[in-house]
Amino acid sequence: MNGGLRRRLYSLLLLAFPRSVRREYGREMTELFESQLEDARQAGTSRFQVWSMAITDALRHGGAQRAEPIRSVLVAAGRSVRRWRWWMRAFFHDVRYTLRVVARRPAVTLLAILTLALGIGANTAIFSAVNAVLLRPLPYPKPDRVMMLFEKRPAEGAFDNPASPADALDWIAMNTTFDTMAAMTPAPVDLTGSGDPVRVSAGAVTPRFFDVFGTQPLFGRTFQSDDAVPGKNRVVVLGHSIWRERFGGNSSIVGQTVSLSGVPHVVIGVLPETFDFPDDTLRLWVPLSFTTATPTRTLHYLNMYGRLKPGVTLDQARADMDRVGAQLLQQYPDANRGHGVHLNSMTAQLKGPIRSPLLLLVGAVAFVLLIACVNVSNLMLSQAAARRREMAVRAAVGAGRARLAGQMLTESIVLGLLGGAAGLLVARWAIAALRNVAPVDTPLVGLQHFTLEPRVLVFTVVLSLAASVLFGAMPAWYLARQNLNDTLKDAGRSPASVRRRVRVALVVSEIALASLLLIAAGLTIRSFQSLLNTEAGFERDHVLTFAITLPASRYRTPEAQVAVFRSIESRLQTLPGVRAVAATSHLPLAGNDSRRGVGIEGREPTPDTPTRAHVRAITNEYLNVMGIRLKQGRPFGPADTDDGSKVIIVNDTMARRYWPGTSPIGKRLQLGGETEWREVVGVANDVRFWGLDRPVNPEMYLPLGQYPTSFATFALRTDTAPSSLTAAAREQIHAVDPDLPVADVQSMSDVAADSISSRRAGMLLLTVFGGLALILAVAGIYGVMAHLVALRSSEIGIRMTLGAQPSSIMGLVLREGLAQALAGLAIGMAGGVLVMRTFRAMLFEVNPADPVTIAAVTVLLIAAATLACILPARRAMRVDPVEALRS
Amino acid sequence: MPRTRPTYDVEKHLPLKPLVFQILLGLADGERHGWSLVRDVQQRGGFGRLMPGNFYRTLRSVVDAGFIEESASRPAAAEDDDRRRYFRLTPLGEQVAMAEARRLEAAVLEARARKLLAKRG
Repeated sequence: MNGGLRRRLYSLLLLAFPRSVRREYGREMTELFESQLEDARQAGTSRFQVWSMAITDALRHGGAQRAEPIRSVLVAAGRSVRRWRWWMRAFFHDVRYTLRVVARRPAVTLLAILTLALGIGANTAIFSAVNAVLLRPLPYPKPDRVMMLFEKRPAEGAFDNPASPADALDWIAMNTTFDTMAAMTPAPVDLTGSGDPVRVSAGAVTPRFFDVFGTQPLFGRTFQSDDAVPGKNRVVVLGHSIWRERFGGNSSIVGQTVSLSGVPHVVIGVLPETFDFPDDTLRLWVPLSFTTATPTRTLHYLNMYGRLKPGVTLDQARADMDRVGAQLLQQYPDANRGHGVHLNSMTAQLKGPIRSPLLLLVGAVAFVLLIACVNVSNLMLSQAAARRREMAVRAAVGAGRARLAGQMLTESIVLGLLGGAAGLLVARWAIAALRNVAPVDTPLVGLQHFTLEPRVLVFTVVLSLAASVLFGAMPAWYLARQNLNDTLKDAGRSPASVRRRVRVALVVSEIALASLLLIAAGLTIRSFQSLLNTEAGFERDHVLTFAITLPASRYRTPEAQVAVFRSIESRLQTLPGVRAVAATSHLPLAGNDSRRGVGIEGREPTPDTPTRAHVRAITNEYLNVMGIRLKQGRPFGPADTDDGSKVIIVNDTMARRYWPGTSPIGKRLQLGGETEWREVVGVANDVRFWGLDRPVNPEMYLPLGQYPTSFATFALRTDTAPSSLTAAAREQIHAVDPDLPVADVQSMSDVAADSISSRRAGMLLLTVFGGLALILAVAGIYGVMAHLVALRSSEIGIRMTLGAQPSSIMGLVLREGLAQALAGLAIGMAGGVLVMRTFRAMLFEVNPADPVTIAAVTVLLIAAATLACILPARRAMRVDPVEALRS
Repeated sequence: MPRTRPTYDVEKHLPLKPLVFQILLGLADGERHGWSLVRDVQQRGGFGRLMPGNFYRTLRSVVDAGFIEESASRPAAAEDDDRRRYFRLTPLGEQVAMAEARRLEAAVLEARARKLLAKRG
């Protein structure tokens, strides 16, 4: 081996050493190594041995020097560990001591832990919901770039209208501030072939829809631009859930054909599980293609989404879309009269409406926890009184004040953490319960994260520690500041007056918090009540509803569609228990809608007063089945078919708006785009179609025969519980067509309940928290009153010796307890009314200062407070004067 | 004015590792460069083959402990070689080396007294 190679090889070995060592000693080390080799050569020993020694040497000593920095860190850490060890030893001593204390008083400890568990558990559950739906960003890359776009009609106060296809295409083509923009509309399809026919909701989307959300398919691909071309558009992208449930999670599904509403579609891709769209009923995706050469500008049904270009601000995008809107208004003055483009970030759009109700709940649970803390603080104060001597003795044998306060704080932290651990159990249960009341009438993203995920656990730990400090501070302060000498001399008599004031203040604040919560709960209950009592315009009891959509492949003509609906109707009519059957294109409170411009004879629409109305195709019995009263005129009859003269029934609002002061009966109107006149034959009562808490708009009913649709919701007025007829109804429908899926089977009262489920959720939760607060507050009053009676037993004894009657003693205790309750009540009421004034949007036809609520809360709290005082008062009455004076 | 030598707590450094003592010993009669030091230690023997990693790591630790220091003074340029680094004992190193020598001497005397070593003629 020549010298150069040898040196190069050795320099490789030197790489085992840190660079600084190589720089300083590298050459000398190489030299030394060479001399070792030379020595070996002269001695005639093996040079292989020298090489292997050099390798071992380099690995061992080089490695050791490289590890040097780590070692020094470890040494430094060891030093600080030693410093901490003293503190930790003190802490663990305190913990051991605490556990002994705790074990001595299991009932008190259990009570404290239970109280804290309720407070911390409720907070954890609500925080978990806040975390899932408010704090987590939307599950898309750069979520703040994702926008929702709407058509706005400022003159009508509408800012979230869907767009028309022609407008949507123009927005996509004309904007300069969006990377991508896409349109979506839900389209029900019947999935047949693999298993039972089912009706599922598909999202019909323009090709770049998934680019807006930055979604990559799990398998296959999403849409390309030529997928939207009519004729090439028989492709489908499966959502993850339907792929797993219906197709067994099989990746070979890509390329296979499935039947959607009777039309074969090729599966081109599967979405990942992580794709979370606000409308979680959409389970598969098809291309949105416009079959007519010139898409309509007068039908508005497209939801628009866009992703902003990098660097573009919301204001810039708004200005850009205002320009687009103005340009379209200029080009199409008739169709787009008064229209513009409104846009908002998807985050704000989705999270805005739920922020305020959730914040109210956060406040409510925070109050529950505060009350819990006050109770535990009170509990510990009474313990502290009993332990003054113990503390004094410890101080006398050398424990510093800080050490004593530290001991008390340790006790609090141990209690708090135990309470937090128990609270997690409460939270687990509460989350399961909360999932059941999660509103279905509000789009929520992120509900799958509504669990005890790590961030929530961290919150719980921090909250437990914060609560510990909160309820532990008062007892610790009280114990640490007492005069130890006096305590030892007094041998146990306590300065009751100081502590009494503190504890009374605690109870008053507790009742104030509870009554504030009860006011909030009461007001939401009252709102919900008035919502339920709202004249809906229809009778929701004993009505079964379900939806049927006819596949275009088998029911091509309007006549065929009308015929099959009629034959289903007459078959259902024969079912025992069914009083009447009807069908409608649009069921109230169910969420779908349709609106058209109308031309009213003798009334020219102006830009500021467009004449529009919402269209419902109905069968003859509809008004009867739904219990919608006819104010004037006649219902539809057998003569109102396609052959007969065209007729229409309008709702009261439409009658008043478009024929003010006169009866509309006999007046005529045209649907936008039609030339035929339709005559008004009836005026129906208003129906709260859009929500029990929403205003009513002009509506018009047309006979199904004269306005055929391919989709209808059937309504059955029943004698028995609506759900009992589901199976029989399905049977009758399948007798007409075995491949027709029956969807959205629900009683009308459930439809109505679902439409107010977010209000119901808010009301239920506030009521639960209010009730929890009341129970805790009552426990608090009881604790303090019992303690005060015990403290004053000698005073009571003297009073009784001096001739006080037991009843007056009882009055004394009750008066004192009720005085505290009333003080708290007054504060809490004022606070409650003020708070609910800021959350007025959550109230419905109820004044924040609603006298019924205030009266009810007052009665409830006074009754509860009296109950809490009665036990201590009875004990006071039974004080034996002799016994009391002796002690 | 007599120079007062600083005194160190040398005991805490004892006993020295043999190689450390040998390095201090090698510098006892003046400064040397590393290469000459390693030859010196090697010649006195007792270490088998002295490998570079081991030697220079020890040398560094002896510098870090403050027993020896790099010398600023260098021989005349002609005989100098820029890869040579020169070392010399510090006062601490000198005292530590002396203390270790005394400790070893005491050990040797003890071994002799217990007949572990034959008395030299």
